[in-house]
Amino acid sequence: MDKAILKVEELSVRFGALTAVKRVGFEAQRGHITSVIGPNGAGKSSLFNLISGAIRPMEGRVLFDGRDTTGFNAVQMVSAGLSRSFQITNLFFELSVHENLRLAAQFIEHGRGLFLPTQRSRLANNRVDELLERFALRSRADELAGYLSHGEQRRLEIATALACNPKMLLLDEPTQGMSLTDTQETEALIKELASDDLSILLVEHDVELVMNISDHVVVMHQGEKLAEGTPLEVRANPQVQAAYFGEVRGHAHA
Amino acid sequence: MGEFSRPASSKQINSLRLLAVLFFAISCVFAFIATVVEDVFFLRLATEAMIFGGLALSVDLLLGITGLLPLGQALFFGFGAYAAALILKNWTVSIWLVLLACMLSSALVGLVAGLIAIRSKGVYFALISFGLAQVVSKIVFNTVELGASDGIIGVPNAQILPGLSSGQPTVFFLFALMFIALVYSLLNYLMKTPYGRQLIAIKANEHRVAFLGFNTWRFKLSAFVLAASIAGTSGALYPMLRGFVSPELMFFQVSGNAIINVIVGGTGTLIGPLYGSALLTGLRSVVGSFTPHHQLVIGVLFMIVVILFPRGIIGYLAPMLDRRCQKGQGTVQQEARGG
Ligand SMILES: Nc1ncnc2c1ncn2[C@@H]1O[C@H](COP(=O)(O)OP(=O)(O)OP(=O)(O)O)[C@@H](O)[C@H]1O
Ligand SMILES: [Mg+2]
Repeated sequence: MDKAILKVEELSVRFGALTAVKRVGFEAQRGHITSVIGPNGAGKSSLFNLISGAIRPMEGRVLFDGRDTTGFNAVQMVSAGLSRSFQITNLFFELSVHENLRLAAQFIEHGRGLFLPTQRSRLANNRVDELLERFALRSRADELAGYLSHGEQRRLEIATALACNPKMLLLDEPTQGMSLTDTQETEALIKELASDDLSILLVEHDVELVMNISDHVVVMHQGEKLAEGTPLEVRANPQVQAAYFGEVRGHAHA
Repeated sequence: MGEFSRPASSKQINSLRLLAVLFFAISCVFAFIATVVEDVFFLRLATEAMIFGGLALSVDLLLGITGLLPLGQALFFGFGAYAAALILKNWTVSIWLVLLACMLSSALVGLVAGLIAIRSKGVYFALISFGLAQVVSKIVFNTVELGASDGIIGVPNAQILPGLSSGQPTVFFLFALMFIALVYSLLNYLMKTPYGRQLIAIKANEHRVAFLGFNTWRFKLSAFVLAASIAGTSGALYPMLRGFVSPELMFFQVSGNAIINVIVGGTGTLIGPLYGSALLTGLRSVVGSFTPHHQLVIGVLFMIVVILFPRGIIGYLAPMLDRRCQKGQGTVQQEARGG
């Protein structure tokens, strides 16, 4: 088996005159936490959209788990084993927490029991139980997702993406807007999740978090890849310091 | 938001079941009384309400459950009505065969229309569905072989069982009631399955469903075909009741009335649309006997209901019943959910 689960080659997408992602290429290794960082508007979410099948690339290729998945749509990507969460919480707000997870977990039944009562989908229901426990949402299971606190919604967002039991999980700023404690818990959780069966691709604004848990970091700037390497290598890179760390520090002090 | 979107554990579903039992119980009592006093007019009218209730259920499946606004659902209703009329005029067959033929053929028509309409979203879907019905109704209106603007008259009764036919008011009312109960039970069952829940999810947030690995197009198309089949089979009962069909059955008035029945009754509740159809079919007829401007009266009434009860009559009653039940049990459970 190839050590790299995801290979991105020369990927580009334009929105009108703006090139949001410009010939970006990198590899993510199986079982690793690979992170993408960069300032606002660097093209991180666009890169996620390209990989997860939300939008089609104009140039370049995406190779996932030994297959060329360029141009796959979202449904095909989930079937291939790649699932994602969203930067802007994207849940079924009018449905209960349990139902949000059950809908997502239904995928692992592979179409079985579609016309039987939901209780009969044992695999899916067990998966929901597991996730409620792991994401500390058990006590909120019957609450509507729209009534959860922001932190809980962000947790549910990750849990929903995880429900289909993917080989790779794309997390787009999972800790956005979270309190410090929630952020720390999420950091620990992401670290725990990464395993031989689950590789993680992370977009995150919190540089400290990224540096703590990542095996590999890709830095983007204005649609282009600026640098990549281990957290230490990236931190030491003068170009990265100029373009990114300076700015973030500035923000932190503002 | 449809009531089925609430947590499965919620009391809401129970009060809806109660209201459903009440509906079918009232219908049976009505049939008994009307038969005893030999009131053919009201039996026929109630049968018509059931038939339009079937159309309303098909609209609710799309509008209230899946989140698609079908402005031309009368297309399938009218198709079923014409198909049944033609079969009954040309062959002597039992009602079961007629309904089976209409069920399958309107599903097929639904598949063709769905392939055209389902790719579009929101208002575009609504307009394409509207356009399809307009085109087909105009074609029927101008086709001499289908009786053109006169439609087909003199449709004979259909045999249900030896000795029982659609010509007997009580028998046919009970037959229509049974048919509606069947359709209602089927849809109610589907809402408890992953298939039905997936439709609800599409209404709630279609974009996300794709990222859960489900092909939303397939779910929407299948719901559309099922709705077409329900509408077509309901329509097939129409010529058996009235003895004729006309192009008006496909006109926007019929589609629009069905949507009003659904909204007044309670979108997404399934039982609400049946209450809505019963109430408004009755009202249209009663008001219509006093004034030719009954559409005006219905229109004003529709506005009042929408303003006072935006979730419709059942959408208003069901949560209220729940709260009453909960207070009776002395528990204070998430009041916020009702709002
Ligand atoms: N669908 C779209 N249509 C037009 N422009 C877009 C679209 N998606 C993204 N953009 C633009 O592309 C650029 C990159 O956006 P993107 O969301 O990928 O950045 P990002 O790195 O995720 O930023 P942030 O840190 O703020 O989330 C931005 O200028 C954005 O306005
Ligand atoms: Mg982003």
